[in-house]
Amino acid sequence: MLRHLFLIPFCLATLFPALWVVKMAFRAEQAFATDLNPLPVEFSLQNFETLMSDPLFGRQLLNSLLVATLTTLLGVFLACTAAYAFSRFRFPGRRAGLMFLLVTQMFPGTMMTIPLYSLMESLGLLNQMAGLILVYSTTAIPFCIYMLKGYFDTIPRELEESAIMDGAGPFTLFWRIILPLSRPAIAVTALFSFMTAWNEYILAATFMSDERAYTLPVKVQSFVGDYTTEWGHFAAGALIVSVPVMALFFALQKHLVGGLTAGSVKG
Amino acid sequence: MRPAAKYGFLGPVMAVVIAAAMGVFVLHRYAGERAETVGRERASQAAAWLLTHGPAGVDDLRRPQSIRWAGVAFSETPQGARYPFLRRPVWLAHTDPARQGTPLERALPDDKATADLLVSPEVTRLPNGGWRAGAAETLAQGERRVAVAELAPPPRVEIPWPSLLLALGAALLFWYDLTRRVPENRVRPAVGAGIAATALLALLGPRLNAVHALEVPESRGSADIGGASMLLAGVVLLPLVIAGVAGALRGSRRSDHRVAYAYIGPALIGLGLLVLVPFLYGVGLAFTRAGHGSATFVGLDNFIDILSSEGRAITEPLSFYFTLVVTLVWTAANIALHAGIGLGLALLLKEPTLRFKGVYRVLFIVPWAVPSYITALVWKGMFNQQYGIVNHLLGLFGVTPVAWFSEFWTSFTANVITNTWLGFPFMMVVSLGALQSIPTDLYEAASVDGADKWQQFKHITLPLLKPAMVPALILGSVWTFNMFNIIYLVSGGQPGHSTDILITQAYRWAFEQDRYGYAAAYSVLIFLILLVWSFFTQRWTRAAEGQG
Repeated sequence: MLRHLFLIPFCLATLFPALWVVKMAFRAEQAFATDLNPLPVEFSLQNFETLMSDPLFGRQLLNSLLVATLTTLLGVFLACTAAYAFSRFRFPGRRAGLMFLLVTQMFPGTMMTIPLYSLMESLGLLNQMAGLILVYSTTAIPFCIYMLKGYFDTIPRELEESAIMDGAGPFTLFWRIILPLSRPAIAVTALFSFMTAWNEYILAATFMSDERAYTLPVKVQSFVGDYTTEWGHFAAGALIVSVPVMALFFALQKHLVGGLTAGSVKG
Repeated sequence: MRPAAKYGFLGPVMAVVIAAAMGVFVLHRYAGERAETVGRERASQAAAWLLTHGPAGVDDLRRPQSIRWAGVAFSETPQGARYPFLRRPVWLAHTDPARQGTPLERALPDDKATADLLVSPEVTRLPNGGWRAGAAETLAQGERRVAVAELAPPPRVEIPWPSLLLALGAALLFWYDLTRRVPENRVRPAVGAGIAATALLALLGPRLNAVHALEVPESRGSADIGGASMLLAGVVLLPLVIAGVAGALRGSRRSDHRVAYAYIGPALIGLGLLVLVPFLYGVGLAFTRAGHGSATFVGLDNFIDILSSEGRAITEPLSFYFTLVVTLVWTAANIALHAGIGLGLALLLKEPTLRFKGVYRVLFIVPWAVPSYITALVWKGMFNQQYGIVNHLLGLFGVTPVAWFSEFWTSFTANVITNTWLGFPFMMVVSLGALQSIPTDLYEAASVDGADKWQQFKHITLPLLKPAMVPALILGSVWTFNMFNIIYLVSGGQPGHSTDILITQAYRWAFEQDRYGYAAAYSVLIFLILLVWSFFTQRWTRAAEGQG
């Protein structure tokens, strides 16, 4: 009982800001809600209707979905293959490669923005989904490789050894043994790739100047101005952005614990 | 270990210190003499530049901040007065806002002397240590056009002792380390040398700055810095990579090496083109003065400017050292709160008999699942002085509304609260996983031996948590160090950029001040700090894993 006494207030404090967003999304006004009750008191869909009736919004939603999905596919594919090599082979440059992956995590984002912009510009990929997909998947790769490598390391080698006896090559081992066994870790990796792409704001705002090419974060952010903020529209947009990620998160939360402790953590 | 090796590190350290001291002495003399000649030269160059390029030319000067003010005047009626060209002045007071809008003759403090100066362009040394020079040109019908440039005195030289001591300390540590280990590892000496070089740079920075802060006119370079050159670099790099891989393939007799490279290849090419090349390009940018689409190579200028704080005091918000300290405090505070709250909750949730365990766990992950920019914006609204819910809540306890973003500490606290809300679930999930992997019979055995709860926590839980927690904490520290969204969106650096951390400061220099080169140098410094940090933490990780 004592535990609940600690946990319940903390839970309320945790949920408070989130409930706040829900409340404002379902209110029919744009001002910030000022009363202390975080639960929705009215139920108006006006904010959602305004968003949905904006023809650009549908397109931006589609952009975000497309970018996030393709980033996830590309990122997970590249991360799986690389992690397999790092986990199962000893080759010249392995240590240096792992070190390089770690070091890329320290590159400050501001340092990459300007060069990436110039690069995208000269490749003609500004305002193009392909540009964002390429950049996001490569940014997400190092962390994904580390997580997957950690998980692959925990798979006992005996399984592969018996398959090798049966004449299996590296690809069969990778495709038939490693990948099926690491579904939970791959799911978590996919979630992180998806989140990277789905939530990223700065690069998207830098590369995309055409409103039709915006992703959702850029759109949602645009409701918050320096002097006035359309809190209702912002909250509705925020809900639309957060709900898919939350759903994925809760669907995968069991694996989250195992994936993180086995993966990222034991480099 | 050789017996003499214990104090062997003292020799090289002494050598470095003595060399540095001598260097400072020589540079001090040199800088003083050179500043005099350079100052005269630059002042007249600036005036001449203004004369040919007009008022707009000020923006093209290499270091606008070193020009105190500059003015250009045209004359209409040359007859009569001795200095008729001053009659209808066109003025321009550049860096001194107080003087903007003042006609040239009133902008000049000593009318006669200045006017004389304009007739015969001679350089004068000002009482404040600056220089003033004029340049004149006779146009048609005796019309004259004059330009005056006043150079600020060289910045007061200040040796950045904190950075110097820090760097010397680090160098000492590395030398000490070297003497204790078998020198199989070539990396540590390199890092030691790098840090010693940083120390030297920190030492020399202000000195050199005193000289070259006076450097003035230089047309903007027109070198193309577009992505084309980066593509070129990629094109040059790619064959090199291919050649390297091919060489490695030929060199490796074992076929599984070849397979390994084949698996890594796709990821490596992607990372090379979209991470490594932009990174190297960013490093290159740090040695240039770059604006929109053009760059001039300026050597170490940007680094020197940053490390000498461009003449600002160390304790001023825009100086590198101030921001560095804020960043370190920010990181430490957040990591402590994340780990404390996360571990505390995990311990509470660990109990198998706890009811609604799953519900709690799901609810506590909510902040992690919400995109950070949304979190930041919502909290910014909640901290608003007028309508914010935080003040409303405090009001119930009789606290007068707090203007959160007008004081450093309240603003900083608002940032920390927001980031704590955002960050504790990750630590909770990691601790939960680690706690679950601890076998329960250990606790049973301990309680049989009569260990109380605290002893069990101290001697079983903590040591066994280490292998999972240490890497998570290190990862978390790097993320927090570079946590752009929260700082930029919640406090926005208010008041007066004081709550900015290094990464937001770098962003501002790049995208609000258009000083790309300077911002790139800032980013390189951030990278170097994290690199040094990773050298230390790698050792801790290995130690923690060894125990686990």
